[in-house]
Amino acid sequence: MAIVKMSKLSLIGLEENKAPIIENLIKMGVVEIINCEEKLADEEWAQTVNRDGDAATLAQLEADISEVKGALDYLAKYDTRKKSLFEPKRTLDDAKYQEVLKKKDTIWDTVKKINNFDESLSALRSEENRLDNLILTLEPWKSLTVPLDVTATKTTEILWGVIPSSVSVESLKQELSEIAPASFLQIASSDKDQTYLLIFYHKSFKEDVLDDLKKYGFSKVAFKDMAGTVAENITTSQQRISAIKQERLTIEKQIATLAPEISNLEILFDYLEIERDKNKVLNNLVKTNKSFMLEGWVPSEVADKVKTSITQKYNCIIDVNNPENEDDMPILVKNNSFVKPFELITDLYSQPTAKEIDPNPIMAPFYFVFFGLMLSDAGYGILISLFTGFILWKYELEGVIKKLMGLLFFGGISTFIWGALFGGWFGNVVSAVSGGTYNISPIWFNPLDDPMRLLMWSLIFGAIHIFVGMGIKGYMLIKDGKVLDALFDIGGWYVFLIGIVLLLSGAAGAAGKYLTIFGAAVLVLTQGRSQKGIIKKLLMGVLSLYNVTSYLSDVLSYSRLLALGLATGVIATVVNTVGVLFGFNAVTLVFFVIVFVIGHIFNILINVLGAYVHASRLQYVEFFSKFYNGGGKPFKPFKINTKYIKLT
Amino acid sequence: MEWITSLFNGKVLAMLGAALAVLLAGTGSAKGLGIVGEMAAGLITEDSSKFGQALLLQALPGTQGIYGLLTAFVILNRIGVVGGAAVELTTATGFLFFVSALPIAIVGYFSAISQGRAAAAGIGIIAKHPEDLAKGIMFAAMVETYAVLALLASILMLFGINI
Repeated sequence: MAIVKMSKLSLIGLEENKAPIIENLIKMGVVEIINCEEKLADEEWAQTVNRDGDAATLAQLEADISEVKGALDYLAKYDTRKKSLFEPKRTLDDAKYQEVLKKKDTIWDTVKKINNFDESLSALRSEENRLDNLILTLEPWKSLTVPLDVTATKTTEILWGVIPSSVSVESLKQELSEIAPASFLQIASSDKDQTYLLIFYHKSFKEDVLDDLKKYGFSKVAFKDMAGTVAENITTSQQRISAIKQERLTIEKQIATLAPEISNLEILFDYLEIERDKNKVLNNLVKTNKSFMLEGWVPSEVADKVKTSITQKYNCIIDVNNPENEDDMPILVKNNSFVKPFELITDLYSQPTAKEIDPNPIMAPFYFVFFGLMLSDAGYGILISLFTGFILWKYELEGVIKKLMGLLFFGGISTFIWGALFGGWFGNVVSAVSGGTYNISPIWFNPLDDPMRLLMWSLIFGAIHIFVGMGIKGYMLIKDGKVLDALFDIGGWYVFLIGIVLLLSGAAGAAGKYLTIFGAAVLVLTQGRSQKGIIKKLLMGVLSLYNVTSYLSDVLSYSRLLALGLATGVIATVVNTVGVLFGFNAVTLVFFVIVFVIGHIFNILINVLGAYVHASRLQYVEFFSKFYNGGGKPFKPFKINTKYIKLT
Repeated sequence: MEWITSLFNGKVLAMLGAALAVLLAGTGSAKGLGIVGEMAAGLITEDSSKFGQALLLQALPGTQGIYGLLTAFVILNRIGVVGGAAVELTTATGFLFFVSALPIAIVGYFSAISQGRAAAAGIGIIAKHPEDLAKGIMFAAMVETYAVLALLASILMLFGINI
């Protein structure tokens, strides 16, 4: 129920045992290997040892991984295996795994084949693009029958070219016939931008013709490396395109036949990733000619087990020590199964440091209560818990998604409890359907009838939440031996705030007044104690009273508990009201069911998101700010990290 | 001058309030969603696997529109247009309903747009660090606080009106 204690493990072994020891460590998956950077910075160390690791092998492995990944991505669209949203990793026992790995070379052939196919497909695709473009450029010249490779005859020259459509072709024709009688102009076609022309002229008129054409903005068009007429070229291109389409289909079919290989490819991928990780970790080690050394963090409770299991098998020295410096100890928290899902919220904020306490066990019950209060519909709660509970039971989830499902499962339970207290069952569905004859009456009270009452309770919950946060701060101060700090900073505020509440509510008569005055006095006298000089001390003390506004705004922030709770309830009521708008008969019943299902699902989704976000916010901003800094480094053990398979 | 009397009829004023709540808060949400949506679409062209995360961020500025609708519904319900018994409203009561709709209408409009911007910036976070989605959500959610407070004010005002 707290931060797990870590030990520092140092291992010195022989180079020949390195690979099997690393293999053992990755399989145990409980040791975080420390980077040797710091060690090598020390001159004495740097003289005797070198950094381990093999950059070339690592780079090769990375390249292999991306090659296999490319093939897998490519095959993904041919994957015919059924997969659900929460598909767990495939389990594979070691014998099967080794068996597949024996065929590594044939799997590699498949990868190469797929990547080759991919290459030829993209080559075909670019050829097709090129031909498409070619057809587009040839199209305007289609009506001409002059072969493209003929640019001159014995006495004439042939020009292909365009002029802008803004100039008149007729006047160009006219002028040409005047200055060069032995010339001929043919209009191939024209579109909105330009006119496509073919011009013959006798060689003796070359200069005149070219000058004149320049005046009209003529630009030459050349078709390189092409023979035959335009129409012929278009036909051959089109034929080639359809051939390419055929070829692509054949290749894609061939790739599709490789689809069953996906599972082997996945195993290869995971194998390469494990090898990569093993190689990568070597960078953290130091070595001499014949030996190597590694250091790591290991949870103290398993440290001895790790030590014996390795020293039994290999000739090496293992030392397990308590850390001399707790600051760089990685953080692993351990909580019971109720608190565990709520770790998600803290994980997303920041890990505690070794000096702090694990906030999860205290935060979890508050999150539980607030999440439910912001949804507060018994029907929704049942649905949420059933859905997430089913997923948790059916699939073996891991990591974040498992915690999230757990969080929603407990959140659903809380939602159910609050819903029952407030009488919300899919909003007011019973009363809406029965036309008000029947009603599920709330166990406590209906916030829609008396929102002020719930507002008051929301603020009370908030005050409790904040007081608990301050209390933890006090506890931490006392634990550090700063009893006076705890007494002044936390105790003073406790007295002052409680006094104000009593004073304003008038509940305890004169006691409220005296508590307030006493609390204020303590704060004024102590809050400036770090300042120099009596005047500065008092001034800072008086100024500190201004902080009461921040406590006020913190507490008022909890009014969102009411607002979001009401939002869920009112939207649910809207859905029901719309649903029963047309009364009940065979047709309108269908309408009712559709509205009911879609409306309530929408309401659940949007408000679960809201409840999650705002319950988190209350923890982060209002609660954590009182005592929690975080900034710890999460424990990242060196372990098998696979994407597709789970080795057993 | 009959139209002035009918314009300042209690029911017309109350309905005007309801209309404003939906109109302004809804417009704000639509703008906010649009801002995030544009960013999200850009992200998806690079990496389509982040669709779910991007959608989550896009949904955030959508709540203001819902709050507006919710406020409108409470008004309509209280004046007997949807469900409940029809009531006659004096001009003064009508004004009270109108005023009650203002917080969520106006704060809803502006906060949805600002929240859209914050969420759009959050898209940048998940583009580089998908594991930090929750942090992006939190930044956008900080903006929503004021929409929630405005909704609370509107609702409390509405429940406080005696007919």
